[in-house]
This record gives sequence, structure tokens and C-alpha cells, in this order.
Amino acid sequence: MENNMLPLEGVRVADFCWVWAGPYSTMLLANLGAEVIKVEGHKRTDLTRHGVVWPLPDPAPQELPPNQGMSFNSVNMNKKSVTLDFTKPEGVGLAKRLAAMCDIVVDNMRAGAMIRLGLGYEELRKLRPDIIVVSASSRGQQGPHKDYAGYATIHQAVGGGAYTTGYPDGEPSTSGGDVDLINATTAAYAALAALYHREQTGEGQFIDYSQCEGVSSMVGDQLLGYELSSEVPERMGNRHPKYAPHSVYRCWGVDHWLALEVHSDEEFAALTNVIGMPELAKDPRFADMASRKENEAELDRIIEEWTRQRDRDWMANEFCRAGIAAASSRDWRDLYADPHLRARNAFVTVDHPELGKLELVGAPWKMSDYEMPERYAPLLGEHNDYVLQELLGLSEAEVAELRRNDVIM
Amino acid sequence: MAGEALNGIKVVELATMVSGPYCGKLLADMGADVIKVEPPEGDPSRQCGPFPKSGPHPERSALFLYNNTSKRGITLNPDRPEGLDAFKRLLRWADVLIDNHPPQHLESLGLSWDEMCRLNPGLVYTSITPYGRTGPRADVKGDELTLIHGGGLGNLLPTRSFDIDRAPVKMGGYAVGYHGAITAALATMATLLGRMKTGRGRLIDISLQNVMLTMVRVNVAGCRYQGTSWSRVPDRPPATGRMKTSDGYVVLGAIEDHHFRALIELMGNPDWVAGDEWDSMRYRIHHLMDVAPQMDGWMIQQRKHDVHHAAAKKGIAIGPVNSAKDVIVNEQYIARNYFINVEHPEAGKHRYAGWPYQMTATPPRVGRPAPLLGQHNQEVFCNALGYSSEEFERLQRLRAV
Repeated sequence: MENNMLPLEGVRVADFCWVWAGPYSTMLLANLGAEVIKVEGHKRTDLTRHGVVWPLPDPAPQELPPNQGMSFNSVNMNKKSVTLDFTKPEGVGLAKRLAAMCDIVVDNMRAGAMIRLGLGYEELRKLRPDIIVVSASSRGQQGPHKDYAGYATIHQAVGGGAYTTGYPDGEPSTSGGDVDLINATTAAYAALAALYHREQTGEGQFIDYSQCEGVSSMVGDQLLGYELSSEVPERMGNRHPKYAPHSVYRCWGVDHWLALEVHSDEEFAALTNVIGMPELAKDPRFADMASRKENEAELDRIIEEWTRQRDRDWMANEFCRAGIAAASSRDWRDLYADPHLRARNAFVTVDHPELGKLELVGAPWKMSDYEMPERYAPLLGEHNDYVLQELLGLSEAEVAELRRNDVIM
Repeated sequence: MAGEALNGIKVVELATMVSGPYCGKLLADMGADVIKVEPPEGDPSRQCGPFPKSGPHPERSALFLYNNTSKRGITLNPDRPEGLDAFKRLLRWADVLIDNHPPQHLESLGLSWDEMCRLNPGLVYTSITPYGRTGPRADVKGDELTLIHGGGLGNLLPTRSFDIDRAPVKMGGYAVGYHGAITAALATMATLLGRMKTGRGRLIDISLQNVMLTMVRVNVAGCRYQGTSWSRVPDRPPATGRMKTSDGYVVLGAIEDHHFRALIELMGNPDWVAGDEWDSMRYRIHHLMDVAPQMDGWMIQQRKHDVHHAAAKKGIAIGPVNSAKDVIVNEQYIARNYFINVEHPEAGKHRYAGWPYQMTATPPRVGRPAPLLGQHNQEVFCNALGYSSEEFERLQRLRAV
């Protein structure tokens, strides 16, 4: 059924990525129907294949077998895997031939690493002039800091995202791998814009992606705000410059919290009814947005006096039914148990050959009339024969020879 | 005019604040023709600021100015029959509709998804809502604070909080809106590519809560299947990650062995990390806590930018915690021409954040500054939609625009 073909069916992607930011960008393309081939050295595999996600459980298994790391399995679904040893010329040669059979090539190595391997854009375009290459490095391919190394939290710090996260009287806060995942999403968007251009004109191109800048573009309003006002945006905790109440409140139980945000007088009146204090809506201290903001500390104290004696999820439902934006601050158990997320199939179940059934978070969108693919992340070298024989046209004997020479696993 | 990647794509944006407008900006800065439809009183982000020292003004809000570059802007009141008719003409004209209102908003005007398909079978409808268009919480309100906590990420912040008795926090700014916008732009682009083969449009249902859930996809799987912990309290050696300097903070990632060897050298080979055992990551994981006071004591004597450059040049992963003021003068950004000068008739000429992607064939650009309220009414109605000037004047008289 042509009408139900996934949008990127027929697009092939070579994935020279590791850890989180690169692999997730190609996984998103795989989710959309592209054939994504992950290329790894079998002696230097993607380290997330073996690693346990921080923070470590105690006692900590330090190293897992290569197909069992949970971050690997979360950001590599729907791909194929081929192993090639890049320290051997035959390995690099095969990688190059494979890349030239692809529409898009993505890496997130250090700036210049692909060029040093002989797999840079200029080399690849000789073999395939309309190729699209995305290199997602820490600070970008050029400039005085191009060789600086970084991880997600470092990009968040450099880009300006960490400075404004946290309490005004506390320290700035990084988050974690989410920074990689949103950079991955942005890089995938740029790749598809380039693909659209190629479909129109036949022209390929090179995309130089800076993960630090990826963070800055998501605080672009704050950067422009500083330009306009010369005032540095500071940390505000859960508060908002205009709206109140706008906070996270203690609930009955241990480490249970409820987020509430009120954006209008009508919503505030509804809130006072839920907590059984309708007189607050007429109290001059809280009668309009400006006075509520001015008396926010007292208002928060009154609300928390009520929430701390009650059940978090019960309150969230009561507030939502009354037309107020409310949500429990959810942890992983809450997320898996959330009836709304389950009703929307936010989790997909894959049958992993070594780990059994795994329920993992699916794609971040729903699209009408598409059957989204749901396959476990590939085992190391699982598709060596397919890639080498079917795609590259090597004979069985040639593959055996490569295996003997330890070019492939 | 040199070509941009998305030249020829026509987009109608019926959206406010961040999630829809930034999605529209991502397409517009790549060359798509984006028409932003505002209610007569304007997008509320015009009231949000930050503003220049001269005070609040609907044409000088940084939030609006940044998120609406390269678009044309019209005002339209679809509650008036003539306004609704004009909106339907826009839908027939468009390849993409970006909408971040609850589905009932357009449905109440007779514009269900089925009806939109009838008007324009090729339409890609990118619908961004707090919890998605289906499911038990489809009608629930949500915004920055509730969605980041409802999606899981908020519960992990602030990381390395020293007070478990304090509430978790959101990310600064409009993180949920930006995350949703980028995700929506990617899904829209893919759908446009798929449409080339089939000619058929699609409904893209973006739930902002679900977008935030996907950002913690690794954490939830690690907790469920490998027993890792989910926590915002200190759980790793304080001597890595965020560290205090004499004038601010840095984030240190001396994780790999070669990083840590270089760090020891940078600290002047102190006695307390002299043994060979410090060359093993496994040893460090269990013993860094023992030397945390010494490492913190060394770092507090450094200046954040100096230690950043000194350590980074030795190959150590590290970065300063930059404020907006620091970001604006970042020499790497300046060398890469990350900031774009944009001149706006009311707000003046300023540096705007650019794009993290540099593209050799189709560089993104700011085609025009954010539109003044209703700036392109006449141009859009008379040129794009084919209204005569008499019809347009009638619309104005009827307050449909």
C-alpha cells in the first residue's frame, strides 16, 4: 500500500555515531522509515552497548555484554548493525563504499575525525556528488574551540541552558542526556531539510552541527532579551515572571510533589473552589495577576498547607477536572503506570533476543495512517552478511576472508 | 535570490507563544513561506518580554521577535464568517498548517481534520497540544511547568540537589515549547518528504508531555530493567559535574582515563592523586569521593573561563556555566558567525541567536524581521489569496482582519 509507506521509505542512512546525540538522530530517521545502518568497529564499539546508565546501581555491574546496555537499546531501535575495523585500510574502504550507497551520512565524532579516517564530506562527494553529510561535534568544525571536547551537560552549560535552571538561591543545574536527544532531533531536522532540497534540485551538502549552539538556539529569547534590556536572565525555580500561583507543592507522602500553574483569574477562582477557600478569589492580596505575583510567597504557603495533607494523584485529577493545569511530578514508575500515556501507546514493546520483552519509550509523535516500526536495537554485527553481500556485493568467500583478517567480527 | 532549502513550501501558522511559532521559525528561516495568523490582539508572546529599558511594547518583546523571524504576519478573526472563509482559503493555499490550540478550537469552526482533508487533500496538519489529541487527558490544560514535571524530566531537577526536602524544578525559560517545536518541525519535514510520493497529507499529533517523556527514555529504561536509580540528590562524586570556581561554575567531565591524567597534570600533580590506581576508571568511580574536598578546593581557586581553556586545550571535556552575557561574547560563536544582525522597524538592530547547523548549499537566514501586527494583511489577502482590493476593504470594514 503506497499510501501507507513510511515517509522516509527508500532513504538509506550510514550511521557513524556513538553514545546518545548521534545515534538518536539516526534512530528518529529509522522511525520515519529510513534504512539506517550503524557502522561500528568491533573492537571499539559504541560504549553504550556495554555501559549501565548513570547513576550506577549498587552493587554495580560495570560492564555488560555488548547488546545489553539500556541506553544503547533506547536510542538505536529500528537500525541495522555492521562491524568494520577502522584501523585497517580494508575496513575504511568498505565503510567508504557503504557511505557512497547512502543518501545521508551522520557522525558525532570530534571535529575532523571523519576527515582523518578518509571518510570526510569531500572524499564521499567524489563517489556520490549528491550525498548529505551531517557532522555533529561539540563546538563545530571550525573556530578557536573546534577541538574542545564535551558531553551533554557541558553543552548545556556552554550554551546558556544550565545557568537559568535551578533555584534563585541555589546553584545552576544541568540535566543530562536529554540535551543530547534534543540536539539529535534538531540535527535530524536539518538533514531532512537538506534532503528536501536535494529532491528538488539534485544538490547535496555538508552540515556542520554544533551541539553547544543547539542549546543556545533554545534560549534564543533569553539571549535577545539580554541584548534588548542589558539584564542577565537569572534562575527562577518553578516560578514565572508574570503568573502566580506557578509552583510545585509538597503532597502527602515521601518526595511527592504537585505542579500547578494558573494563567488567568478564572483559573484562580476555580483553584480556590477546589481547595475549599473561595474567599481567596476576592481577597485583595490575590484578586488579580499582579497582586497574586506580589503576594506569591503567602499564596504558595496557603496552597501547600492544603496539598501537604492530600494525595498527589487525587489532587492532580481534581485540579485538571476544574480546568487548571496540574500534574504530579512523575518518576519512572509513574510514567510507566500513566493511563494516559498507555492509552496513547507511548511505550512500544520489542522482543530482544538476549533480554526478552522490553517496554521502551516510542517515537515522540503520532501520525495518521502509519504503522510505525518497532524493532529492537540491532545486535553487534547482526547485519554483516546483509550489508556486505547484499548491499556491497561481496561473495561469501570474500566475507570469510575479511572475517579471517579480523576486519569484521 | 539564492535558493534556500525549503523554498516553495507554504505554511500557515495558527499558533501562539513558543511551541508552534518556533516550529514555524525553523521552517521559515530555511526558506519556507510562513504566514503567521494572529488574533486581532496579537500573539500573547508580544506581551511577555523581556523588553528594552523603554518598557513593554507589543512590537518589542524578545520572545516574539526571536520566535517569529522570516514570517509574514496577518491578523484574522475566524469567529467572523468572512474571517473563517479567508482562513479556509489559506488552508487551500497551504502545504502545512501548524496549530497549537486545543483541537476543539478549529473543530468548533467546522474545521475537523476530515473537513480539512476535503478542503486540501495534501495538507500536512501539525497539531501541537499539551497531552495530545487522544487519550483520557486529551482535554487537560498544560504548559511549561506542568508538562516538564508530568513528562518526568522535572522530577530529576535540579541535579545534585543537596536538599531532598526541596521541590524539584523546571528547566529555565520555555524548554517544553522549544522541545515540542523542534520535534514538530522534524515530523513535518518527514511528512512533506513522504507526500512527494503519495500526494497525501497527514495529521501529525504532537503531545508535549510525550515529547518530554522521550527526553528521559534512557532513564526510564535503565531504572526498570537495570535497577539504576532515579534521583535528583547527589549520586556521583561531587568532584565531577558542576563545580564551583572563584567567579562562577564549570561543568567538568574528566571521565575517561586520558582526561583524568591530563587533569592531574593541570592541578600540578598533587600527592593525593599520585598513585597509579587513579589511572583506572573503575577505581575512580569508587574513590573520587575520597579526594572531593581537595578537588573542590583546587577548583574554587580557578576562574571559570581560564580553567575552561586550560583544561580544554589539554583534551579534558569541560565547559563554563555561561549566562546570556557570556554566550553573547563567546569567541567560538563569533568566529562561526552564530549571531545574526536583524533590524526591526520598532525594536531596532540587534544580534539574534542563529542556528546550530551550518549548511554549505542552503545556509539558513533571517529573511525578514518578525512581522508587525497585521503588517502583511493586504499583501497576503490580495496577492496570495486573490482578494480584490474592494473585497479586502470589505473584510477590514467587517473587522474580519
